[in-house]
Amino acid sequence: MQKENREGVKGWLNPTRYGLSRFAYWLQRLTGVGLLAYFIAHIIETSSLAEGKFAWEAMLDLTQTPGGHIILIIVIGMSAFHAANGVRLYITEGGRGVGRPGRPDYPYRPTSLGPRMRACIWVTVALAALAMIYGANVLFGE
Amino acid sequence: MRESHIMNIHYLTGLAAIVLVGIHIMFRLIMPFAQSLEYENIIANYQNLPYAIVLELILLTVAIHGFNGLRIILIEWRQGEHWEKGVTWTCVAAAIAIIAYGSRTIIMANMAGAA
Repeated sequence: MQKENREGVKGWLNPTRYGLSRFAYWLQRLTGVGLLAYFIAHIIETSSLAEGKFAWEAMLDLTQTPGGHIILIIVIGMSAFHAANGVRLYITEGGRGVGRPGRPDYPYRPTSLGPRMRACIWVTVALAALAMIYGANVLFGE
Repeated sequence: MRESHIMNIHYLTGLAAIVLVGIHIMFRLIMPFAQSLEYENIIANYQNLPYAIVLELILLTVAIHGFNGLRIILIEWRQGEHWEKGVTWTCVAAAIAIIAYGSRTIIMANMAGAA
């Protein structure tokens, strides 16, 4: 491959010309990195428990704000999508739901992305949206 | 370790994390969310030994799954012997550091009420 054709992270992040499976691939990685960042932040946040009640309450003042709740709602959506899409990936890795191999004919639709698999991806997105609505209701409904 | 073994660990820790984080979230939802975050409630959670073990298992599974996921992304992004070794050992070191730091919180919060 010629060097000028390499797009690096920009190519990796560009989901527009790859279809639905590439969109799911991209979102799985993006949510994975986001969740790892939240996990590290959560470990640091909860470490204030070891410093006593005042340190914990000072940390809550910092995190239990409308902005903190919005971040938490995004984290809930990322968790739901990453988990549901991860389970879908386990299933496809086992060879289920990916269709039979066939001769590539125009317009080159991948057999691995049949209607059921497409529906699965949209179900994962819907689950994430529902989880975010539920999270928003818990966090802002009190 | 073979990459296929590492992927099996990745899948197992992912599935375990779904179950364990589910338990962790349920503990926050058995009472109003703001009340569940009160210091006394949180410390009582940490002093419940089975729940403290769940927290430690979440720490282990999510750290292993998360940092291995990051390693996979970075190795997909760029290849080369030095890069792959550097990424692998950095991710292993980061996972160990976060597990140690999180375990310290679990142990200290667990002992907080005993003092």
